[in-house]
Amino acid sequence: MNFHEYRALFVAIVGILALLVASPALSRLLVFPKTEFFTEFWILDSNHKAENYPFNVTRTASYSVFLGIGNHLGHTAYYVVEVKLRNQTQSAPNSFNRTSSSLPSLINITAFVADEETWEYPLTFSFDYVYNEALSRVEFSSLKLNDASIDVTGFTTGWDSRSSGFLYNLFFELWIYDAATSSFRYHERSVGLWFNMTTS
Amino acid sequence: MRREVHLDLKPLFVLSMLLVMASLSPVLVSHVEADESNQSQAVSALADAEANVVSAYKAVLKADEAGANVSGLLVRLNEAGGLLTRAHAAYGLGDFDYALELANLCQERLSGFVAESDGLRETAIQDHYRDFFVNVVGSVLGAVGVVCGGLFVWFRLDRRYGKSGS
Repeated sequence: MNFHEYRALFVAIVGILALLVASPALSRLLVFPKTEFFTEFWILDSNHKAENYPFNVTRTASYSVFLGIGNHLGHTAYYVVEVKLRNQTQSAPNSFNRTSSSLPSLINITAFVADEETWEYPLTFSFDYVYNEALSRVEFSSLKLNDASIDVTGFTTGWDSRSSGFLYNLFFELWIYDAATSSFRYHERSVGLWFNMTTS
Repeated sequence: MRREVHLDLKPLFVLSMLLVMASLSPVLVSHVEADESNQSQAVSALADAEANVVSAYKAVLKADEAGANVSGLLVRLNEAGGLLTRAHAAYGLGDFDYALELANLCQERLSGFVAESDGLRETAIQDHYRDFFVNVVGSVLGAVGVVCGGLFVWFRLDRRYGKSGS
């Protein structure tokens, strides 16, 4: 048997060995670049489910939800959640135009989230309001968010005949810090809950 | 015969009120001035705390890009962010003293933060270079060595057995 008949086998063994030894370098070169960069933003009920959100709200009663952020931007991000309150006629964030609501923020919640990590914020809130029978509307006086009491005097909502209630929307807009411009910009994400302010 | 004396108390009342106001005015003015001073101090502390948070975030971002483990820093940064949120809420309610206290706490929480972050970044860069030399340069040189070794063995074997044909 000729020695040269083993040439192919020899080359294959040396090639496999060389590839094995070079694998740490190859693993760095053959990494497919990440192409999708996005942020998740969610709101869950008190049982961490998307089921039993509070709707019929009683004056000064407390309700709990969880706000969550999932960072898939490829770097650590600095987010600010702007908490806003609106009735049906006031400005809302627009997902088609990708614009935020023009209403002022009641309170800003900051969050620093590492890449591929999530952040969760337990939020307990209650509304203090009165029913103005003469004007048939609900008039708010304060909103309590966790420990912070926020003055919301002047916020009102009228009777909604379609829903048979006094509806109000507590919503959260996600803003992100842009290190290039050293400013915050709207991150085109918002979540919110509609409430019926019960008066009896 | 009794004679009734009617005293007109109006000028006396006005005079006494003026005297009371004059005596209280320094107190009132100082109270308003103190309130304004507290407010301006709170505004300044909030602006400083915000600037510190941004600087800290930029330092973390650099450390993260260098491959450092920034999870511990992010815990601190989130605590500082929470204090800043509460400081803004207190300011919104007109509680300037509490806003000032929280803004100062936020800055305290970030004391030495940028230096620590820069240190982690430097360590990460050094680890990255070491990793590059061991894993990339080392493995490429190893693979070249395997190929050269293979050729050497092949030619040795060829010299020994190739001519004999067995």
